[in-house]
Amino acid sequence: MIESPASLAVWNTLLASTAEEMGVTLWRTGHSPNIRERKDFSCAVFNAAGELVAQAAHIPVHLGAMPESISAVSTLAPWKEGDLAIVNDPYLGGTHLPDITIVEPVFTDDQLIAFVANRAHHSDIGGMSAGSMPIATELYQEGLIIPPLKIREAGQLNEPLLALILRNVRTPTERRGDFDAQFGALKTGATRLKALAYRHGVRELARWMEALTDYTERLTRAAIESIPDGDYHADDVMESIDGTLLPIRTKLTVTGDLLTVDFTGSAGEQSSSINAVSAVTRSAVAYSVRCLLPTNAPSNAGIFRPIRLLLPESSIVNAMPQRAVSAGNVETSQRVTDVILAAFSQALGDRIPASSAGTMSNFTFGGLHPNGESFAYYETVPGGAGAGPKGRGESGIQTHMTNTANTPTESMEITFPVRVRRFELRENSGGKGLHQGGEGVIREIEFLTEANVSLVGDRRLIGPPGANGGHSGKKASNTLVSAEGLRKPVSGQQQIQIRPGDRIEVQTPGGGGWGAPPKGGHRRTAH
Amino acid sequence: MAKLREKVLGVDVGGTFTDFVAIEGETIRTWKRLSTPSAPENAVLTGSEKLTSGRMAHGSTVATNALLERRGPRTVLITTEGFRDLLAIRRQERPALYDLEPKRRPHVIAYSDVIPVHERIGADGKVVIPLEADEITRVVKKVAALGAEAVAICLLFSYIRPEHEIHLATALRAAGVAVSASHEVLPEHREYERASTTAINAFLQPAVRNYLSGLDAHTPSLRIMHSAGGLTDSSTSSKRPVSLVTSGPAGGVLGALAVANEAGYSEIMTFDMGGTSTDVSLCPGEPRYRSSSEIDGLAVHTPMVDIVTVGAGGGSIARIDSGGALVVGPESAGANPGPACYGKGVLPTVSDANLLLGRLRPEAALGESVIPNLDRAKEALAQLGEPATTASAVIEVANATMASALRRVSLERGYDPANFTLVAFGGAGPLHACELASEIGISKVLVPRYAGVLSAIGIATAPEVIEVSQGLLLPLNNDASDQILLTAQALEKQSIAGLEGAGGNLEKLTWAADVRYRGQAHELRVSFDKPTPTSITDSFRSTYSREYGFVSQDQSVELVTLRCRAEGNFSGLPYWKNNAVPQTDDKPTPIQLSGGVAALHANREALAPSTTLDGPAVITQPDATTFIPPGWSATVDKSMNLLVTPS
Repeated sequence: MIESPASLAVWNTLLASTAEEMGVTLWRTGHSPNIRERKDFSCAVFNAAGELVAQAAHIPVHLGAMPESISAVSTLAPWKEGDLAIVNDPYLGGTHLPDITIVEPVFTDDQLIAFVANRAHHSDIGGMSAGSMPIATELYQEGLIIPPLKIREAGQLNEPLLALILRNVRTPTERRGDFDAQFGALKTGATRLKALAYRHGVRELARWMEALTDYTERLTRAAIESIPDGDYHADDVMESIDGTLLPIRTKLTVTGDLLTVDFTGSAGEQSSSINAVSAVTRSAVAYSVRCLLPTNAPSNAGIFRPIRLLLPESSIVNAMPQRAVSAGNVETSQRVTDVILAAFSQALGDRIPASSAGTMSNFTFGGLHPNGESFAYYETVPGGAGAGPKGRGESGIQTHMTNTANTPTESMEITFPVRVRRFELRENSGGKGLHQGGEGVIREIEFLTEANVSLVGDRRLIGPPGANGGHSGKKASNTLVSAEGLRKPVSGQQQIQIRPGDRIEVQTPGGGGWGAPPKGGHRRTAH
Repeated sequence: MAKLREKVLGVDVGGTFTDFVAIEGETIRTWKRLSTPSAPENAVLTGSEKLTSGRMAHGSTVATNALLERRGPRTVLITTEGFRDLLAIRRQERPALYDLEPKRRPHVIAYSDVIPVHERIGADGKVVIPLEADEITRVVKKVAALGAEAVAICLLFSYIRPEHEIHLATALRAAGVAVSASHEVLPEHREYERASTTAINAFLQPAVRNYLSGLDAHTPSLRIMHSAGGLTDSSTSSKRPVSLVTSGPAGGVLGALAVANEAGYSEIMTFDMGGTSTDVSLCPGEPRYRSSSEIDGLAVHTPMVDIVTVGAGGGSIARIDSGGALVVGPESAGANPGPACYGKGVLPTVSDANLLLGRLRPEAALGESVIPNLDRAKEALAQLGEPATTASAVIEVANATMASALRRVSLERGYDPANFTLVAFGGAGPLHACELASEIGISKVLVPRYAGVLSAIGIATAPEVIEVSQGLLLPLNNDASDQILLTAQALEKQSIAGLEGAGGNLEKLTWAADVRYRGQAHELRVSFDKPTPTSITDSFRSTYSREYGFVSQDQSVELVTLRCRAEGNFSGLPYWKNNAVPQTDDKPTPIQLSGGVAALHANREALAPSTTLDGPAVITQPDATTFIPPGWSATVDKSMNLLVTPS
């Protein structure tokens, strides 16, 4: 029996809007293109015990990872008003190094009432290549590792620590602006929570924070219960740097309102950067389950309560410390989602679509402006969404574990020495089916100076599978087009030194088709 | 402020009713006619009085509806080669994060109706690929072959260097094609947003032109309300129909501000609650403006009154979800089937809850509509629990949603709601206003005398406005002075010419700019007296500090877009001598709210100035109901507005 259905809804609105408002501040004041244009960040509210209460709908890959950053910084207790903790260590609550998390304890009259946190993808965190998404073999090459530390103590900024961080990154001014934006967003969240505590009392606030996690738990259990009991298996592959196929295997076991997700049989950890830390795998599982919940459900700790995760140690879905991880966050997380949804589709065929692009097609570049200042840029390129029972897949759209916006060409060319030559849908790349998969895109960028480019993207060997008789979407391809017009294929994980006039062309995968294709096929229709 | 001298008729077309207000000297009259959605001009023309002098100011949803229904001619987009799918890819985000099958709303131009052009301007304004004469000829032929009735042109960096767009537009116009060119519609940076706005403008032109020319023929001086919160003539509106798309709620905000000013309040928040949604805005002395929004999934960038809309209204449906929470809206029973109490629907709504609690009075139903049925409301609410408890809970949840909108327009932008007066209107606004005010710490609620036709009043009394802009993207330092000055001169000339060309007289010229720290992508709209680097920077720092709570002294500041707003023909509201007397002498009658709470029910038309009424009380008028909760009391002011405060 729920004690007050109305208060539950009211508190859901209050805490969800607190998290959203933090996001608005961060978005509007951020400097990295990743933050300001692409909204590659997350904002969340935690109770005093560090349990996730509300997380704004920003980037799903942070969903399971934010709670771990709070437990990681808990070693810094006791807290004082005005403290701020910083962390990016993927093995201590992080995701990959460019994602920097800042946590603020919130006090009312010397009493700790909550934590607010945000995690933002910074354009550069040092390491072996500009943009910090290198083709690495160990974590140390990927950039500066920040263990949980206080970046501000009782209102006093830790200048030496800040200086150390800024000296280790390629674009210190931009970093500084992003930190200010992150601090400002936390202040917004803390102010709102203090007002709530003042208005309703600390005990009421604590009580309803707890009630909201119970609420999400009930919604999650109800969603799991709607799946018939049984075991559901699915597997798919990731492509290793040398072209071998690495299995990602899952077994879902539904027993009443409990779900066990077992990744036994998945590939071992790699000496490249496609390793996912456990927090990333957790995020992908949480995202897949969250998609089954109603729209207004708060994303919080309640999701995890009826789910048991079995992650084999030293595997590609649970890498051990010091493994490189930058691409695990963006690539392996997509495949984990694909296999969970594929397993769900055996039970919920009328709800689950075919596979989407399944890669974020990460494109990173950096170099020196003619004036000697360095630049670094990172983007993810959209693909096709999988078609589903409701209709065709959308084309040129971010799917599953990311939802970052693009940087307008008119912003990009003003900021960086590049020219965007082409950004169009990739015709007929969607998998055929009763409903066709969405089309990927073709993105071609010309460099006006020398630059160092990293390309990391999966689905270069095998396209996203269709469902229910639908065909696969077209696989991806990367090409280096020289100033003279010579085309040279680039692999799914490669770093290239670029000369002025060279172009990189990225073709992203189409989504899988759904249902058997009709005879005679489809005509390409309007979007 | 100058008062109205000539007779003016304000007309606001709504989904159900078309509202009219006639203001002449110190006389105001209002009336309503049923709307005629298939040909809205019919209700406008048959309801209007013949005007021999003065003007008719008109707010129309014709552009908004045509866009929502994607009703328009075959429209072609001409864009830079390589960017054919600008309107399909947009900003590449999916609209709902956890939707397994995300769907974008279609744009107004079909995939196959895009013509890429071989040309390119660079970020520095230099020509990278020239636009050859042969290419222009090819494009003109292609447009003819496609049989397009309207054409939008959006080329990369045309806001810096428009010459390629100009060549194409000139050639197409010479061939007799209606053209919207992006450097004319929105000379600002970001190609998708500019292309989207330009495409919508091209798409809406025929419908808006036909509609307005039909009205123009019957009305000597027709003024059209546009989204920047002002009026202009029909020829300007026909050329820029996209500026009518978001004009709907602007009338209400202006009406609320006019009434509040006349009553002696200048800092207000507006709260307009209707059947399916609620519009709120904050006016610190004047409306706030912004320059971007999204309508039905499409980017529309045009200056508009900054209004936040949430999906909570009288028709919002209440249900208990699988986690045991009471959810209200955004699903709405709309007009059909409507709330359960009106006879067709069966699901409980906010209106059913208000009726059950005794706040909506069946005896005061609006003339032509159905009398609400208490038993049906009770039956619907009983599906969720004990009816009276459920009804209070439904109100509480709907209020929380609306309160979050009021917090967004105030706290999120750095304003403390405690300093504002809440002006409540729309059919249901005054029902919820006092409880909402307590929720967010406001202690004054103003319910205008004409709460049901406030938008028509706002339209009638709006100034003439033209706002023009130019994208610049300049660092704000002394080196920028000259370029800012030159741009400002051009904008000033353009805005005054626009205002006077549309028949207005310049009374006020104001400056605004979209400004950011170098490296950011989001601009703040700030206003200032003189377009100089120093005054723009100062205004930016203080606005930034208010909105975000911090400023950076060492980061350089960048001017993105300069805006000039020319206003004229202010009217303001007269004091309505004629109507400041009660129209009936009905005495308040005792009623019972749910739970047997004793209250008074008064007819708004019977309340003379200076009357005071303590809550709990319900005050009804033909098109709105005001609820005074216990602990609040209402006083009637000289213009017969209600001022409600905690007693």
